[in-house]
Amino acid sequence: MTQPQDLPKEAGHRLEELEHGLFTSDLSVNEFLLIKEAGFHPLGFVMGSSIYHTGIQARRWNKSQELTKLTEAMYNARELAMTRMEEEADQLGADGVVGVRLDVNYYEWGRDAAEFIAVGTAVKAEDGVSHRNALGKPFTSDLSGQDFWTIMQTGYVPQGLVMGTCVFHIAHRGLGQALGSMGQNVELPNFTQALYEARELAMTRMQDEANQLGATGIVGVRLEEKSHQWGSHTIEFLSLGTAVTKSAGDVTLPKPITVISLDN
Amino acid sequence: MPAPGRPDGADGPPDAVDTGTGTDLPEAAGRRLESGSFSSGLTVPDFAACLQMGLRPVALVQGFCVMQWGWYGAGSPYSRGLSPYAFGSGGAPRGVYSESYSCPHGGMVYSNEHRIWGQNYQQPWVEEAWAEGFGSAYSRLVEEAGAVGAHGVIGVVDSTRHLADMNVTEFHILGTAVVVEDAAPAPGATPWTTYLAGQRLAKLVEAGYMPVSVVAALSSVRVWAYCVTEMLMEGRPLSTFGGGGYMPVAEVEQLSRAHLAARSLVREHVRGKLGHDTLQGALIVANTQRLAQGDEVIECALRGTRVRRFKDFDPLPPPRPTVRLT
Repeated sequence: MTQPQDLPKEAGHRLEELEHGLFTSDLSVNEFLLIKEAGFHPLGFVMGSSIYHTGIQARRWNKSQELTKLTEAMYNARELAMTRMEEEADQLGADGVVGVRLDVNYYEWGRDAAEFIAVGTAVKAEDGVSHRNALGKPFTSDLSGQDFWTIMQTGYVPQGLVMGTCVFHIAHRGLGQALGSMGQNVELPNFTQALYEARELAMTRMQDEANQLGATGIVGVRLEEKSHQWGSHTIEFLSLGTAVTKSAGDVTLPKPITVISLDN
Repeated sequence: MPAPGRPDGADGPPDAVDTGTGTDLPEAAGRRLESGSFSSGLTVPDFAACLQMGLRPVALVQGFCVMQWGWYGAGSPYSRGLSPYAFGSGGAPRGVYSESYSCPHGGMVYSNEHRIWGQNYQQPWVEEAWAEGFGSAYSRLVEEAGAVGAHGVIGVVDSTRHLADMNVTEFHILGTAVVVEDAAPAPGATPWTTYLAGQRLAKLVEAGYMPVSVVAALSSVRVWAYCVTEMLMEGRPLSTFGGGGYMPVAEVEQLSRAHLAARSLVREHVRGKLGHDTLQGALIVANTQRLAQGDEVIECALRGTRVRRFKDFDPLPPPRPTVRLT
Protein backbone atom coordinates (compact mmCIF):
# COMPACT_ATOMS: atom_id res chain seq x y z
CA MET A 1 0.00 0.00 0.00
CA THR A 2 2.27 2.77 -1.23
CA GLN A 3 -0.03 4.76 -3.54
CA PRO A 4 -1.69 7.95 -2.24
CA GLN A 5 -5.03 6.73 -3.60
CA ASP A 6 -4.91 4.04 -0.91
CA LEU A 7 -5.66 6.71 1.66
CA PRO A 8 -9.30 6.92 2.80
CA LYS A 9 -11.57 9.27 0.84
CA GLU A 10 -12.05 11.42 3.95
CA ALA A 11 -8.30 11.96 4.14
CA GLY A 12 -8.35 13.35 0.61
CA HIS A 13 -11.10 15.86 1.51
CA ARG A 14 -9.27 16.98 4.64
CA LEU A 15 -5.97 17.37 2.83
CA GLU A 16 -7.61 19.33 0.00
CA GLU A 17 -8.84 21.86 2.54
CA LEU A 18 -5.36 22.17 3.96
CA GLU A 19 -3.96 22.88 0.51
CA HIS A 20 -5.98 26.14 0.48
CA GLY A 21 -3.91 27.75 3.18
CA LEU A 22 -5.50 26.63 6.43
CA PHE A 23 -3.11 24.58 8.51
CA THR A 24 -3.61 22.31 11.51
CA SER A 25 -0.90 21.09 13.87
CA ASP A 26 -0.40 19.59 17.29
CA LEU A 27 2.51 21.92 17.93
CA SER A 28 2.52 23.98 21.11
CA VAL A 29 2.85 27.75 20.67
CA ASN A 30 6.55 27.61 21.57
CA GLU A 31 7.14 24.79 19.10
CA PHE A 32 5.27 26.72 16.40
CA LEU A 33 7.47 29.79 16.96
CA LEU A 34 10.68 27.78 16.81
CA ILE A 35 9.61 25.89 13.68
CA LYS A 36 9.05 29.29 12.05
CA GLU A 37 12.38 30.52 13.42
CA ALA A 38 14.09 27.52 11.82
CA GLY A 39 12.67 28.62 8.45
CA PHE A 40 9.73 26.21 8.14
CA HIS A 41 5.99 26.60 8.37
CA PRO A 42 3.42 23.94 9.28
CA LEU A 43 1.16 22.61 6.52
CA GLY A 44 -1.08 20.24 8.39
CA PHE A 45 -1.52 17.51 10.94
CA VAL A 46 -0.89 14.19 9.19
CA MET A 47 -1.48 10.63 10.29
CA GLY A 48 -1.29 7.03 9.19
CA SER A 49 -2.91 3.97 10.65
CA SER A 50 -2.83 0.22 10.23
CA ILE A 51 -4.79 -2.46 12.02
CA TYR A 52 -2.62 -5.53 11.93
CA HIS A 53 -3.22 -9.10 12.99
CA THR A 54 0.01 -10.04 14.69
CA GLY A 55 -1.01 -13.63 15.33
CA ILE A 56 1.03 -16.10 17.31
CA GLN A 57 4.22 -18.03 16.79
CA ALA A 58 5.27 -21.29 18.33
CA ARG A 59 8.10 -21.01 20.80
CA ARG A 60 10.11 -23.54 22.74
CA TRP A 61 9.69 -23.35 26.47
CA ASN A 62 13.37 -23.77 27.27
CA LYS A 63 14.97 -22.01 24.30
CA SER A 64 15.76 -18.32 23.94
CA GLN A 65 15.00 -17.34 20.37
CA GLU A 66 13.86 -14.50 18.20
CA LEU A 67 10.26 -14.86 17.04
CA THR A 68 10.89 -13.68 13.51
CA LYS A 69 7.26 -13.80 12.37
CA LEU A 70 6.22 -11.51 15.20
CA THR A 71 9.22 -9.26 14.57
CA GLU A 72 8.22 -8.91 10.95
CA ALA A 73 4.60 -8.26 11.89
CA MET A 74 5.47 -5.51 14.38
CA TYR A 75 7.88 -4.00 11.88
CA ASN A 76 5.53 -4.12 8.88
CA ALA A 77 2.61 -2.70 10.81
CA ARG A 78 4.61 0.34 11.92
CA GLU A 79 6.03 0.77 8.43
CA LEU A 80 2.51 0.78 6.98
CA ALA A 81 1.37 3.44 9.43
CA MET A 82 4.50 5.51 8.78
CA THR A 83 4.16 5.17 5.01
CA ARG A 84 0.55 6.35 5.08
CA MET A 85 1.52 9.33 7.20
CA GLU A 86 4.30 10.13 4.71
CA GLU A 87 1.76 9.85 1.86
CA GLU A 88 -0.45 12.45 3.52
CA ALA A 89 2.58 14.71 3.96
CA ASP A 90 3.59 14.10 0.35
CA GLN A 91 0.13 15.07 -0.84
CA LEU A 92 0.53 18.40 0.98
CA GLY A 93 3.88 18.96 -0.71
CA ALA A 94 5.68 18.87 2.63
CA ASP A 95 9.43 18.71 3.11
CA GLY A 96 9.10 16.79 6.31
CA VAL A 97 7.08 15.75 9.34
CA VAL A 98 8.09 16.79 12.85
CA GLY A 99 6.92 15.62 16.26
CA VAL A 100 6.09 12.12 15.00
CA ARG A 101 4.54 9.81 17.57
CA LEU A 102 4.13 6.08 17.11
CA ASP A 103 1.50 4.34 19.22
CA VAL A 104 0.09 0.85 19.45
CA ASN A 105 -3.49 0.34 20.69
CA TYR A 106 -5.26 -2.91 21.46
CA TYR A 107 -9.03 -3.23 21.36
CA GLU A 108 -11.33 -5.73 22.97
CA TRP A 109 -12.96 -6.55 19.64
CA GLY A 110 -9.74 -7.62 17.97
CA ARG A 111 -7.94 -10.46 19.65
CA ASP A 112 -4.29 -10.61 18.51
CA ALA A 113 -4.92 -7.48 16.41
CA ALA A 114 -3.53 -4.06 17.16
CA GLU A 115 -3.86 -0.60 15.68
CA PHE A 116 -0.57 1.06 14.84
CA ILE A 117 -0.82 4.83 14.51
CA ALA A 118 1.70 7.43 13.34
CA VAL A 119 0.88 11.13 13.72
CA GLY A 120 2.89 14.32 13.24
CA THR A 121 2.90 17.81 11.75
CA ALA A 122 3.91 18.25 8.11
CA VAL A 123 6.22 21.23 7.51
CA LYS A 124 7.69 22.98 4.48
CA ALA A 125 10.74 25.19 4.13
CA GLU A 126 9.91 28.85 3.56
CA ASP A 127 12.92 29.46 1.33
CA GLY A 128 11.58 27.06 -1.29
CA VAL A 129 14.64 24.80 -1.12
CA SER A 130 13.74 21.13 -0.90
CA HIS A 131 14.64 19.44 2.39
CA ARG A 132 13.38 16.00 1.42
CA ASN A 133 15.57 13.06 2.31
CA ALA A 134 17.90 11.02 0.12
CA LEU A 135 14.98 8.85 -1.03
CA GLY A 136 13.04 11.92 -2.24
CA LYS A 137 10.44 11.53 0.51
CA PRO A 138 9.50 14.00 3.23
CA PHE A 139 11.81 13.54 6.19
CA THR A 140 10.22 12.29 9.40
CA SER A 141 11.38 13.00 12.92
CA ASP A 142 10.18 12.55 16.47
CA LEU A 143 11.94 15.75 17.48
CA SER A 144 9.87 18.45 19.18
CA GLY A 145 9.82 21.96 17.75
CA GLN A 146 12.51 23.03 20.21
CA ASP A 147 14.72 20.06 19.35
CA PHE A 148 14.15 20.62 15.63
CA TRP A 149 15.38 24.22 15.93
CA THR A 150 18.37 23.13 18.03
CA ILE A 151 19.46 20.34 15.68
CA MET A 152 19.32 22.75 12.72
CA GLN A 153 21.62 25.11 14.63
CA THR A 154 24.20 22.35 15.01
CA GLY A 155 24.46 21.93 11.24
CA TYR A 156 22.64 18.61 11.13
CA VAL A 157 19.37 18.04 9.27
CA PRO A 158 16.86 15.25 9.96
CA GLN A 159 16.54 12.48 7.37
CA GLY A 160 14.00 10.16 8.88
CA LEU A 161 12.59 8.49 11.94
CA VAL A 162 14.42 5.17 12.03
CA MET A 163 13.51 2.13 14.05
CA GLY A 164 14.49 -1.43 14.69
CA THR A 165 12.49 -4.07 16.43
CA CYS A 166 13.07 -7.56 17.73
CA VAL A 167 10.52 -9.83 19.38
CA PHE A 168 12.38 -12.29 21.55
CA HIS A 169 11.32 -15.25 23.61
CA ILE A 170 13.36 -15.60 26.80
CA ALA A 171 13.74 -19.25 27.78
CA HIS A 172 12.27 -20.53 31.02
CA ARG A 173 14.74 -22.10 33.42
CA GLY A 174 14.59 -25.83 33.79
CA LEU A 175 14.28 -27.53 37.16
CA GLY A 176 17.92 -28.60 37.05
CA GLN A 177 19.12 -25.07 36.33
CA ALA A 178 16.95 -23.64 39.07
CA LEU A 179 18.13 -26.19 41.62
CA GLY A 180 21.74 -25.75 40.58
CA SER A 181 21.74 -22.07 41.45
CA MET A 182 19.26 -22.14 44.31
CA GLY A 183 20.15 -19.80 47.13
CA GLN A 184 23.06 -18.26 45.27
CA ASN A 185 23.64 -14.75 44.03
CA VAL A 186 24.99 -15.50 40.57
CA GLU A 187 24.78 -14.17 37.04
CA LEU A 188 22.46 -16.12 34.73
CA PRO A 189 24.44 -15.97 31.47
CA ASN A 190 21.63 -17.39 29.32
CA PHE A 191 19.25 -14.60 30.35
CA THR A 192 21.96 -11.96 29.99
CA GLN A 193 22.90 -13.17 26.50
CA ALA A 194 19.28 -13.39 25.36
CA LEU A 195 18.32 -9.88 26.50
CA TYR A 196 21.61 -8.44 25.29
CA GLU A 197 21.24 -10.09 21.88
CA ALA A 198 17.64 -8.92 21.45
CA ARG A 199 18.45 -5.30 22.19
CA GLU A 200 21.51 -5.32 19.97
CA LEU A 201 19.47 -6.78 17.08
CA ALA A 202 16.89 -4.02 17.45
CA MET A 203 19.57 -1.35 17.51
CA THR A 204 21.44 -2.87 14.57
CA ARG A 205 18.28 -2.80 12.46
CA MET A 206 17.69 0.81 13.41
CA GLN A 207 21.22 1.67 12.28
CA ASP A 208 20.67 -0.28 9.03
CA GLU A 209 17.69 1.96 8.29
CA ALA A 210 19.83 5.03 8.97
CA ASN A 211 22.50 3.74 6.60
CA GLN A 212 19.87 3.26 3.89
CA LEU A 213 19.04 6.96 4.25
CA GLY A 214 22.71 7.86 3.97
CA ALA A 215 22.63 9.32 7.47
CA THR A 216 25.75 10.20 9.41
CA GLY A 217 24.15 9.53 12.76
CA ILE A 218 21.08 9.01 14.90
CA VAL A 219 20.12 11.33 17.73
CA GLY A 220 17.71 10.83 20.60
CA VAL A 221 17.87 7.04 20.51
CA ARG A 222 15.55 5.36 22.95
CA LEU A 223 14.89 1.74 23.75
CA GLU A 224 11.37 0.60 24.58
CA GLU A 225 10.36 -2.83 25.85
CA LYS A 226 6.86 -4.24 25.93
CA SER A 227 5.37 -7.68 26.29
CA HIS A 228 2.10 -6.53 24.69
CA GLN A 229 -0.22 -9.54 25.00
CA TRP A 230 2.33 -12.32 24.77
CA GLY A 231 3.18 -12.97 28.42
CA SER A 232 6.24 -11.93 30.36
CA HIS A 233 8.76 -14.20 28.63
CA THR A 234 8.12 -12.73 25.17
CA ILE A 235 9.28 -9.16 24.83
CA GLU A 236 9.39 -6.68 21.96
CA PHE A 237 12.52 -4.53 21.99
CA LEU A 238 11.96 -1.37 19.93
CA SER A 239 14.74 1.08 19.18
CA LEU A 240 13.81 4.51 17.81
CA GLY A 241 15.68 7.66 16.88
CA THR A 242 16.01 10.42 14.30
CA ALA A 243 18.61 9.87 11.59
CA VAL A 244 20.52 13.03 10.71
CA THR A 245 23.07 14.11 8.13
CA LYS A 246 25.64 16.86 8.37
CA SER A 247 24.81 19.79 6.12
CA ALA A 248 27.53 21.43 4.08
CA GLY A 249 29.83 23.90 5.77
CA ASP A 250 31.13 24.24 9.27
CA VAL A 251 28.81 25.60 11.90
CA THR A 252 30.03 27.50 14.91
CA LEU A 253 27.58 27.15 17.74
CA PRO A 254 26.92 30.25 19.81
CA LYS A 255 28.34 30.01 23.31
CA PRO A 256 25.53 29.62 25.84
CA ILE A 257 25.05 32.40 28.35
CA THR A 258 24.15 31.92 31.98
CA VAL A 259 20.76 33.26 32.97
CA ILE A 260 18.88 33.65 36.21
CA SER A 261 15.13 33.35 36.08
CA LEU A 262 13.16 36.11 37.75
CA ASP A 263 9.99 34.02 37.72
CA ASN A 264 8.65 32.57 40.91
CA MET B 1 13.02 -3.97 6.41
CA PRO B 2 16.37 -5.46 7.33
CA ALA B 3 16.05 -9.21 7.58
CA PRO B 4 15.50 -10.30 11.17
CA GLY B 5 17.57 -13.03 12.65
CA ARG B 6 21.19 -13.88 12.32
CA PRO B 7 22.98 -13.78 8.98
CA ASP B 8 23.73 -17.46 9.28
CA GLY B 9 20.02 -18.20 9.51
CA ALA B 10 20.24 -19.85 12.92
CA ASP B 11 17.86 -18.89 15.67
CA GLY B 12 18.50 -18.40 19.33
CA PRO B 13 21.21 -16.27 20.88
CA PRO B 14 24.58 -16.84 19.27
CA ASP B 15 27.68 -17.46 21.25
CA ALA B 16 29.48 -14.52 22.72
CA VAL B 17 32.09 -12.81 20.61
CA ASP B 18 35.53 -14.08 21.35
CA THR B 19 38.10 -11.72 20.00
CA GLY B 20 40.85 -13.25 22.01
CA THR B 21 40.79 -10.37 24.45
CA GLY B 22 38.41 -11.92 26.93
CA THR B 23 35.35 -10.07 25.63
CA ASP B 24 31.91 -11.44 26.42
CA LEU B 25 29.83 -9.11 24.25
CA PRO B 26 27.20 -10.72 22.05
CA GLU B 27 27.84 -11.06 18.33
CA ALA B 28 25.18 -8.49 17.44
CA ALA B 29 27.03 -5.89 19.49
CA GLY B 30 30.10 -6.35 17.31
CA ARG B 31 28.04 -6.01 14.14
CA ARG B 32 26.25 -2.90 15.38
CA LEU B 33 29.41 -1.16 16.52
CA GLU B 34 30.98 -1.69 13.08
CA SER B 35 28.16 0.34 11.50
CA GLY B 36 29.23 3.51 9.68
CA SER B 37 26.74 5.89 11.31
CA PHE B 38 26.87 7.05 14.88
CA SER B 39 24.02 6.64 17.33
CA SER B 40 23.41 8.67 20.42
CA GLY B 41 21.01 8.44 23.31
CA LEU B 42 21.56 12.11 24.12
CA THR B 43 18.72 14.59 23.93
CA VAL B 44 19.15 17.18 21.19
CA PRO B 45 20.20 19.97 23.62
CA ASP B 46 22.76 17.60 25.15
CA PHE B 47 23.91 16.58 21.68
CA ALA B 48 24.41 20.24 20.75
CA ALA B 49 26.33 20.94 23.95
CA CYS B 50 28.44 17.85 23.32
CA LEU B 51 29.44 19.16 19.87
CA GLN B 52 30.19 22.57 21.31
CA MET B 53 32.57 21.03 23.84
CA GLY B 54 34.46 19.30 21.07
CA LEU B 55 33.06 15.85 21.80
CA ARG B 56 31.93 13.75 18.85
CA PRO B 57 29.34 11.00 19.54
CA VAL B 58 30.41 7.61 18.24
CA ALA B 59 27.84 5.07 19.40
CA LEU B 60 25.21 4.27 21.94
CA VAL B 61 26.90 1.71 24.15
CA GLN B 62 25.34 -0.55 26.73
CA GLY B 63 25.96 -3.32 29.19
CA PHE B 64 23.67 -5.86 30.82
CA CYS B 65 23.81 -8.48 33.49
CA VAL B 66 20.98 -10.70 34.66
CA MET B 67 21.51 -11.97 38.17
CA GLN B 68 19.68 -14.41 40.33
CA TRP B 69 19.45 -12.54 43.57
CA GLY B 70 19.10 -14.94 46.46
CA TRP B 71 17.51 -12.51 48.85
CA TYR B 72 16.54 -15.16 51.30
CA GLY B 73 18.73 -17.99 50.17
CA ALA B 74 21.70 -19.59 51.87
CA GLY B 75 23.48 -17.19 54.16
CA SER B 76 20.51 -14.88 54.13
CA PRO B 77 18.00 -16.38 56.52
CA TYR B 78 14.45 -15.15 56.21
CA SER B 79 13.23 -16.75 59.37
CA ARG B 80 13.90 -15.23 62.72
CA GLY B 81 16.52 -16.88 64.80
CA LEU B 82 18.75 -17.83 61.88
CA SER B 83 21.02 -14.79 61.95
CA PRO B 84 24.39 -15.39 60.33
CA TYR B 85 25.86 -13.51 63.25
CA ALA B 86 25.72 -14.53 66.87
CA PHE B 87 23.35 -12.62 69.10
CA GLY B 88 25.00 -9.41 70.23
CA SER B 89 27.07 -6.82 68.47
CA GLY B 90 30.23 -8.83 68.88
CA GLY B 91 28.99 -11.65 66.66
CA ALA B 92 29.55 -10.01 63.28
CA PRO B 93 32.87 -10.15 61.51
CA ARG B 94 35.12 -7.13 61.89
CA GLY B 95 33.84 -4.19 59.82
CA VAL B 96 30.33 -5.61 59.42
CA TYR B 97 27.52 -3.70 61.11
CA SER B 98 25.40 -5.57 63.65
CA GLU B 99 23.71 -4.56 66.86
CA SER B 100 21.12 -6.18 69.06
CA TYR B 101 18.24 -5.03 71.26
CA SER B 102 16.90 -6.65 74.40
CA CYS B 103 13.38 -6.51 75.78
CA PRO B 104 13.08 -3.79 78.46
CA HIS B 105 10.25 -5.49 80.27
CA GLY B 106 12.42 -7.12 82.88
CA GLY B 107 12.13 -10.58 81.53
CA MET B 108 8.39 -10.63 82.12
CA VAL B 109 7.22 -12.46 79.01
CA TYR B 110 3.55 -11.81 78.22
CA SER B 111 3.23 -14.53 75.63
CA ASN B 112 5.28 -16.89 73.50
CA GLU B 113 5.10 -14.32 70.71
CA HIS B 114 6.63 -11.54 72.76
CA ARG B 115 9.90 -10.57 71.07
CA ILE B 116 12.46 -10.49 73.82
CA TRP B 117 15.26 -9.54 71.44
CA GLY B 118 15.88 -7.94 68.08
CA GLN B 119 18.78 -7.35 65.78
CA ASN B 120 19.97 -5.02 62.99
CA TYR B 121 22.63 -6.42 60.74
CA GLN B 122 24.34 -5.65 57.47
CA GLN B 123 23.89 -8.16 54.60
CA PRO B 124 27.25 -8.15 52.79
CA TRP B 125 26.20 -11.04 50.50
CA VAL B 126 23.41 -8.88 49.05
CA GLU B 127 25.76 -5.92 48.65
CA GLU B 128 28.37 -8.09 46.95
CA ALA B 129 25.78 -9.55 44.56
CA TRP B 130 24.59 -6.06 43.63
CA ALA B 131 28.18 -4.93 43.11
CA GLU B 132 28.86 -7.98 40.95
CA GLY B 133 25.78 -7.39 38.77
CA PHE B 134 26.43 -3.66 38.40
CA GLY B 135 30.14 -4.26 37.84
CA SER B 136 29.55 -6.85 35.10
CA ALA B 137 27.10 -4.59 33.24
CA TYR B 138 29.45 -1.62 33.64
CA SER B 139 32.49 -3.53 32.37
CA ARG B 140 30.49 -4.55 29.26
CA LEU B 141 29.52 -0.92 28.64
CA VAL B 142 33.17 0.11 28.90
CA GLU B 143 34.16 -2.79 26.65
CA GLU B 144 31.71 -1.63 23.96
CA ALA B 145 33.07 1.92 24.28
CA GLY B 146 36.62 0.63 23.95
CA ALA B 147 35.63 -1.37 20.86
CA VAL B 148 34.62 1.82 19.02
CA GLY B 149 37.75 3.67 20.11
CA ALA B 150 35.92 6.09 22.40
CA HIS B 151 37.71 8.33 24.87
CA GLY B 152 34.72 8.44 27.18
CA VAL B 153 31.05 7.72 27.77
CA ILE B 154 28.66 10.53 28.67
CA GLY B 155 25.04 10.63 29.76
CA VAL B 156 25.25 7.25 31.48
CA VAL B 157 21.91 5.93 32.72
CA ASP B 158 21.62 2.82 34.85
CA SER B 159 18.63 0.88 36.05
CA THR B 160 17.97 -2.19 38.08
CA ARG B 161 14.69 -4.00 37.63
CA HIS B 162 13.05 -7.23 38.55
CA LEU B 163 12.03 -9.25 35.50
CA ALA B 164 8.44 -10.35 35.86
CA ASP B 165 7.89 -14.05 36.51
CA MET B 166 11.57 -14.86 36.25
CA ASN B 167 12.75 -14.28 39.82
CA VAL B 168 15.82 -12.54 38.52
CA THR B 169 17.13 -8.99 38.47
CA GLU B 170 18.55 -7.21 35.45
CA PHE B 171 21.25 -4.56 35.63
CA HIS B 172 21.20 -2.27 32.59
CA ILE B 173 23.64 0.54 31.89
CA LEU B 174 23.80 2.62 28.73
CA GLY B 175 25.42 5.82 27.58
CA THR B 176 26.82 7.62 24.55
CA ALA B 177 30.44 6.90 23.66
CA VAL B 178 32.32 10.01 22.53
CA VAL B 179 35.64 10.89 20.99
CA VAL B 180 37.44 14.09 21.91
CA GLU B 181 37.93 15.99 18.64
CA ASP B 182 41.55 16.64 17.75
CA ALA B 183 42.77 14.30 20.49
CA ALA B 184 44.98 11.34 19.73
CA PRO B 185 43.30 7.93 19.88
CA ALA B 186 43.99 6.08 23.08
CA PRO B 187 44.13 2.38 22.20
CA GLY B 188 43.96 0.17 25.24
CA ALA B 189 43.08 3.01 27.59
CA THR B 190 39.95 2.59 29.69
CA PRO B 191 37.32 5.16 28.61
CA TRP B 192 36.15 7.59 31.29
CA THR B 193 32.45 7.58 32.13
CA THR B 194 30.02 10.07 33.60
CA TYR B 195 26.33 10.39 34.41
CA LEU B 196 26.55 13.98 33.18
CA ALA B 197 25.88 15.24 29.69
CA GLY B 198 25.17 18.52 27.96
CA GLN B 199 25.52 21.80 29.78
CA ARG B 200 25.96 20.13 33.16
CA LEU B 201 29.07 18.40 31.86
CA ALA B 202 30.24 21.63 30.21
CA LYS B 203 29.89 23.49 33.51
CA LEU B 204 31.81 20.77 35.35
CA VAL B 205 34.72 21.11 32.92
CA GLU B 206 34.56 24.91 33.11
CA ALA B 207 34.76 24.57 36.87
CA GLY B 208 38.06 22.74 36.45
CA TYR B 209 37.00 19.12 36.97
CA MET B 210 37.19 16.17 34.58
CA PRO B 211 35.09 13.02 34.92
CA VAL B 212 36.87 9.79 35.82
CA SER B 213 34.10 7.19 36.14
CA VAL B 214 30.61 6.60 37.39
CA VAL B 215 30.57 5.17 40.88
CA ALA B 216 27.72 3.30 42.53
CA ALA B 217 27.22 1.06 45.54
CA LEU B 218 24.45 -0.50 47.57
CA SER B 219 24.11 -1.13 51.29
CA SER B 220 21.63 -3.57 52.75
CA VAL B 221 20.56 -3.74 56.38
CA ARG B 222 18.13 -6.27 57.81
CA VAL B 223 15.96 -5.36 60.79
CA TRP B 224 14.53 -7.94 63.14
CA ALA B 225 12.26 -5.95 65.35
CA TYR B 226 12.25 -6.51 69.10
CA CYS B 227 9.09 -5.99 71.17
CA VAL B 228 9.24 -2.20 71.43
CA THR B 229 9.91 -1.70 67.71
CA GLU B 230 7.21 -4.19 66.79
CA MET B 231 4.58 -2.50 68.98
CA LEU B 232 5.45 1.00 67.76
CA MET B 233 5.46 -0.04 64.10
CA GLU B 234 2.26 -2.04 64.37
CA GLY B 235 0.46 0.71 66.24
CA ARG B 236 -0.20 -1.49 69.28
CA PRO B 237 -0.04 0.01 72.76
CA LEU B 238 2.84 -1.04 74.96
CA SER B 239 1.34 -3.29 77.62
CA THR B 240 1.54 -2.48 81.27
CA PHE B 241 0.85 -4.69 84.23
CA GLY B 242 -2.71 -4.51 85.44
CA GLY B 243 -4.19 -4.19 81.98
CA GLY B 244 -4.52 -1.31 79.56
CA GLY B 245 -1.57 0.22 77.81
CA TYR B 246 -0.12 3.41 76.48
CA MET B 247 0.99 4.64 73.11
CA PRO B 248 4.11 6.76 73.52
CA VAL B 249 5.17 9.44 71.08
CA ALA B 250 8.73 8.28 70.66
CA GLU B 251 11.44 7.66 68.15
CA VAL B 252 11.60 4.09 66.83
CA GLU B 253 15.22 3.84 67.77
CA GLN B 254 15.99 0.48 66.20
CA LEU B 255 14.71 1.59 62.78
CA SER B 256 16.36 5.00 63.02
CA ARG B 257 19.68 3.38 63.70
CA ALA B 258 19.20 0.89 60.86
CA HIS B 259 18.48 3.70 58.37
CA LEU B 260 21.45 5.65 59.70
CA ALA B 261 23.66 2.58 59.34
CA ALA B 262 22.47 1.88 55.79
CA ARG B 263 23.29 5.43 54.68
CA SER B 264 26.58 5.44 56.49
CA LEU B 265 27.59 2.08 55.00
CA VAL B 266 26.80 3.08 51.42
CA ARG B 267 28.84 6.26 51.83
CA GLU B 268 31.73 4.15 53.11
CA HIS B 269 31.43 1.79 50.12
CA VAL B 270 31.56 4.70 47.65
CA ARG B 271 34.30 6.51 49.54
CA GLY B 272 36.42 3.40 49.19
CA LYS B 273 36.17 3.68 45.39
CA LEU B 274 37.11 7.37 45.13
CA GLY B 275 40.78 7.35 46.08
CA HIS B 276 41.87 11.01 46.23
CA ASP B 277 39.07 12.15 43.92
CA THR B 278 35.68 13.61 44.79
CA LEU B 279 32.11 12.63 44.02
CA GLN B 280 29.93 14.94 41.94
CA GLY B 281 26.13 14.78 41.73
CA ALA B 282 25.74 12.24 44.51
CA LEU B 283 22.25 10.75 44.55
CA ILE B 284 21.20 8.49 47.39
CA VAL B 285 18.02 6.44 47.08
CA ALA B 286 16.67 4.47 50.02
CA ASN B 287 14.27 1.62 49.47
CA THR B 288 12.47 -0.09 52.32
CA GLN B 289 11.01 -3.54 51.94
CA ARG B 290 8.52 -4.13 54.74
CA LEU B 291 8.24 -7.77 55.77
CA ALA B 292 6.02 -8.15 58.83
CA GLN B 293 5.61 -7.05 62.43
CA GLY B 294 8.24 -4.30 62.18
CA ASP B 295 10.76 -6.44 60.29
CA GLU B 296 12.32 -4.66 57.31
CA VAL B 297 15.10 -4.74 54.77
CA ILE B 298 16.59 -1.33 54.06
CA GLU B 299 18.62 -0.79 50.91
CA CYS B 300 20.46 2.40 50.05
CA ALA B 301 21.94 2.96 46.61
CA LEU B 302 24.39 5.81 46.13
CA ARG B 303 25.60 6.86 42.69
CA GLY B 304 27.52 9.78 41.27
CA THR B 305 30.42 10.73 39.05
CA ARG B 306 33.97 10.48 40.34
CA VAL B 307 35.71 13.70 39.26
CA ARG B 308 39.28 14.98 39.39
CA ARG B 309 40.50 18.57 39.41
CA PHE B 310 42.70 19.42 36.45
CA LYS B 311 42.74 23.21 36.41
CA ASP B 312 41.77 26.22 38.47
CA PHE B 313 38.22 27.46 38.36
CA ASP B 314 37.53 30.02 35.63
CA PRO B 315 35.01 32.52 36.99
CA LEU B 316 31.78 32.50 34.99
CA PRO B 317 30.30 35.76 33.70
CA PRO B 318 27.43 37.07 35.84
CA PRO B 319 24.08 35.56 34.84
CA ARG B 320 21.62 37.60 32.78
CA PRO B 321 18.25 38.09 34.48
CA THR B 322 15.40 36.69 32.40
CA VAL B 323 11.64 36.45 32.62
CA ARG B 324 9.88 33.53 30.98
CA LEU B 325 6.74 34.36 29.08
CA THR B 326 5.12 31.00 29.81
